[in-house]
Amino acid sequence: MELPVLSLVTFIPLVGAIVVLLMSSENEKAVKATSTVFSGISFVFSVVLMVAYNRAIPDFQFVERASWIPQINVWYYVGVDGISITMVFLTALLSFMSVIGSFGIKDRVKQYFALFLLLQTAMTGVFVALDFFLFYVFWEAMLVPMYFLIGIWGGPRREYAAIKFFLYTLLGSVAILLAILAMYFSTTPHTFDIVELGKTHPFAPGLQMILFLALFLGFAIKVPVFPFHTWLPDAHVEAPTAISVILAGVLLKMGTYGIFRISYPILPDAARDFAPFLAVLAVINIVYGALVAMGQKDLKKLVAYSSVSHMGYVLLGLAAMTPTAMNGAMLQMFAHGIITGSLFLLVGVIYDRAHHRDIDGFGGLAVQLPIYTGIMSLACFASLGLPGLAGFIAEFMTFVGAFPVFKTIVMISAVGIVITAGYFLWTLQRMFLGKPQEKYAGFPDLSARELVTLVPLQVLTVFIGVYPWLIIDFMNSSMESLSHFLRGV
Amino acid sequence: MNEYALGQGLWEMGFAAAVPFTLVALSAMAVLLADLWLLPSQKRALPWAALAGVLLSAASVAFLWNEEATGFGGAIRLDRFSAFFAMVFLLGTGLVVLLSSAYARREGVERGEYYALLLFGTSGAMLMASAVELVTFFLGLEILSVSLYVLSGFFRQRPASAEAAAKYFILGAFASAFLLYGIALFYGASGSTTYAALRESFGSAAFPYSHGLLALAASGLLLIGLAFKLGAVPFHMWVPDTYEGAPTTITAYMSVVSKAAAAAAFIRVFGASLSSLQQDTSAVLWVLAVVTMTLGNVVAIAQTNIKRMLAYSSIAHAGYLLVALTAAGEAGYSSVLFYVLAYVFMTLGAFGVVSLVRKGEGGADAGAEALDISHYSGLAGRHGLLAAAMAVFMVSLSGIPPTAGFFAKFYVFSAAVRAGEVGLAIIGVLNSLVSVYFYMRIVFLMYMKEETVPVRGSRSRAGWVALAACVLGTLLLGVLPSSFARLATESIASIF
Amino acid sequence: MLLAYLPILIWILLCAGLALAIVFLSHVLGRKRPTGAKLSPYECGITPVGDARSRFPIKFYIIAVVFLVFDIEAAFLYPWAVIYKKLALVGLLEMAVFMAVLLVGYLYLWKKRVFDWED
Repeated sequence: MELPVLSLVTFIPLVGAIVVLLMSSENEKAVKATSTVFSGISFVFSVVLMVAYNRAIPDFQFVERASWIPQINVWYYVGVDGISITMVFLTALLSFMSVIGSFGIKDRVKQYFALFLLLQTAMTGVFVALDFFLFYVFWEAMLVPMYFLIGIWGGPRREYAAIKFFLYTLLGSVAILLAILAMYFSTTPHTFDIVELGKTHPFAPGLQMILFLALFLGFAIKVPVFPFHTWLPDAHVEAPTAISVILAGVLLKMGTYGIFRISYPILPDAARDFAPFLAVLAVINIVYGALVAMGQKDLKKLVAYSSVSHMGYVLLGLAAMTPTAMNGAMLQMFAHGIITGSLFLLVGVIYDRAHHRDIDGFGGLAVQLPIYTGIMSLACFASLGLPGLAGFIAEFMTFVGAFPVFKTIVMISAVGIVITAGYFLWTLQRMFLGKPQEKYAGFPDLSARELVTLVPLQVLTVFIGVYPWLIIDFMNSSMESLSHFLRGV
Repeated sequence: MNEYALGQGLWEMGFAAAVPFTLVALSAMAVLLADLWLLPSQKRALPWAALAGVLLSAASVAFLWNEEATGFGGAIRLDRFSAFFAMVFLLGTGLVVLLSSAYARREGVERGEYYALLLFGTSGAMLMASAVELVTFFLGLEILSVSLYVLSGFFRQRPASAEAAAKYFILGAFASAFLLYGIALFYGASGSTTYAALRESFGSAAFPYSHGLLALAASGLLLIGLAFKLGAVPFHMWVPDTYEGAPTTITAYMSVVSKAAAAAAFIRVFGASLSSLQQDTSAVLWVLAVVTMTLGNVVAIAQTNIKRMLAYSSIAHAGYLLVALTAAGEAGYSSVLFYVLAYVFMTLGAFGVVSLVRKGEGGADAGAEALDISHYSGLAGRHGLLAAAMAVFMVSLSGIPPTAGFFAKFYVFSAAVRAGEVGLAIIGVLNSLVSVYFYMRIVFLMYMKEETVPVRGSRSRAGWVALAACVLGTLLLGVLPSSFARLATESIASIF
Repeated sequence: MLLAYLPILIWILLCAGLALAIVFLSHVLGRKRPTGAKLSPYECGITPVGDARSRFPIKFYIIAVVFLVFDIEAAFLYPWAVIYKKLALVGLLEMAVFMAVLLVGYLYLWKKRVFDWED
């Protein structure tokens, strides 16, 4: 019998959560060690998954299928293809890093790690589920641990941020649920099978429009697409560091992943009709997000708004539908995950020392924290799209792929890059250059634990920047077949 | 006639159909009598005696699981449907008895009558679910109702409890009158009170027009009586006051057993017998469902007393049940059965937690029930397990996976969509979105606020067992709903 | 068909009309000389003292309720006895069940000392 790798990746953290719950809350070290081990095993299996994945074919691999609720034709149906495999890997990687990055948690340690591992299972589940019902269960199950993680361990306005995140996302989920029910009942025989629906896409154009809009509402809130983005700055700013990493690195990707996985293959006609609107929303995201980021004084808020801007590139790539643009979008999802993940980790590092995040309150840190400054600069450069780093390749591919389709929009979007470069450079200047300040003199530089979480992400950033095929190879065949299908080539 | 033949004869007359609820009634009498000879220190045995009765009856239901019998001249029927509901009632009663074992002693109402009336009420509910004749159904309803009138006023010294009982009794008597009038009209229209005769009389469109009008009027009256028991708007006026004033364990019992019994009777009468009138009733049900869900959820937001909040939440859940009843058909009705089962776990659990939380040391009323929602602030810090259990129930009541509440709602709304009631499903989904606010507010208070009033959790072991069962049930029904859904489908198939 | 009931309707109307007419006429024609004694609630008996809604021992209520139950038992036994032969063994059993239920109630009342008039 083959090893059910996907189930292992997904459910090992859940087992870990249960083990952690059964442990004594006194022994915090053991709790942290256990969580690291379980999240680590899950990560190892995700690496196994990457290695064993056949990159040449766009089909679903590692498929597991078992009847779950036969009465309504619900299956436990999981599998990965080029759209999801990198996301599964990203989730496992960032979760593992975040678990290590969470060792600083002091309050209710046991609950924190149990909820975190629960969250990891739900997130991975979203990316591997190939049955709508299963997908929805994971999608919703993510909400509750996230709510607690922001609401209990967050910053001063955590309650507000947590409930806002919860209600916003739930509103989106409800729209998704209705769309799922509508799809289920408009097919004969009734089915929740995402793969099957993607092959037959049996819906009339009119119905497709309605379904697309309902799904888009749910996904757009997650991305977040302007004007549904207002939960994001609150949630990011209030969430503890590791949760910000997960929010930006994984949760935002679920919105665009949903469009790739569900909206596009199942509703191709509506997708084609809506593509120009998507492109317009994308350019708003890019430019508006960048402009608002520029105006931020709070470092964490700045990174949060930069995410809004960067997710815009993903949308643009999606809207263009060419293989290059879609590969770029997919790569941007991955690159943004690791780059913004490390940016949030870095924000957490400085916050732990200075207990504030006011950009103008820093200055001259380059002298006091040289290693920190180096890594922060690398992450910022990656984020603003410096050639040779992961972000550049992704944005470049997106623009190249989208240019033939939306010339004006791409040209406007390019303004976003300039603004992004502007605010990141300005931030670096304000924080690290200038006269060193007395009060920051005693700050220790990065600790070994912090380096363990940061260095792998930086290495990956550089490596993908130099050799992007490492990641693109996984998605290319799936993207090409999806693109051909959408454009009717 | 020898003994064997007598037994055989009784069996053939369908006495089997009466066994489960007769056992419950007998245990009620046994508890009532035993109590008379017990010393005050021996009263602790009462809940265990009651539990034994519940288990005995459950065993008989399990034993008769595959039997079918009609007894007492076509008045009651044993089939999978009545067995399913019997199990639901017994499950609810068993959990309530466990919760009561500490609660009743604490509140000074540990008396034989308390447990006897609980069991009598259950036997009435079981009679309602197995009745296939209107007068028998009415008998069951009254046995249940009268027990509840007394039980909700069981705190004789407290004005709130007296108010609860008085309101429930007066409005309940009124509803019973409606019901009886409806039964009388049905008798007038069809010449019989058995469900089989109803089906025959109104099964085809051929019945005379005047009889059709009579049947419609009768259905309307019957609907009012059942809607009252369900707690559907606009027949819900008694619910908040009664739920708030009654002993908490009794509130839990009322919200679960009485609601389930009404749903069971509804399905037997309107679903299985009067399906020809469905077109006429479904419009009424549609409106009832919408106003019930909406009012329940919206008003629940404004509550400051947790029992009142749960009362409005139970009104809202009656609304979801009505959605499923509107959807009708085998899918709709089996979703009712699943919903009822899920509802037992999550609602009993929530009320169970409420019955275990008490005001802590300091203050004049230490040890009294902590019923204000603000008392739940910071509960997680002091009683992690209690708070975690409450969080599970709240998440389930708001319908978030992977809990029983999610699948139950999913089942209901998909039945509605299947029946073409897309609008109703959308209204229902939006409603459950609203409900998230007040359920999650409890979670929010428990986990993210500091303690304001010191509270402590009861250490009742029986109560904890009941809570653990509820948590397990809530999660089990959420993760592996398949076999329970099959049970529900089979039960419905047995009456069509 | 309803026409057959017409005489009854006329009869009801006549009765009601007559009753009303007599009261009305006596009101209009009669002479009124009110005195204190005539205006009291009971002109023909003892002078009323105190409030009519006075409390009296709950035992009376209980006796009334208990009487009701056992009176119904007796009333139920008569028709049963008349057709006892037809009901045969099953009838005997059913009545035994009925009596047993009431017996439980009786025992309950006994132990609760409902029948002890003096406390």
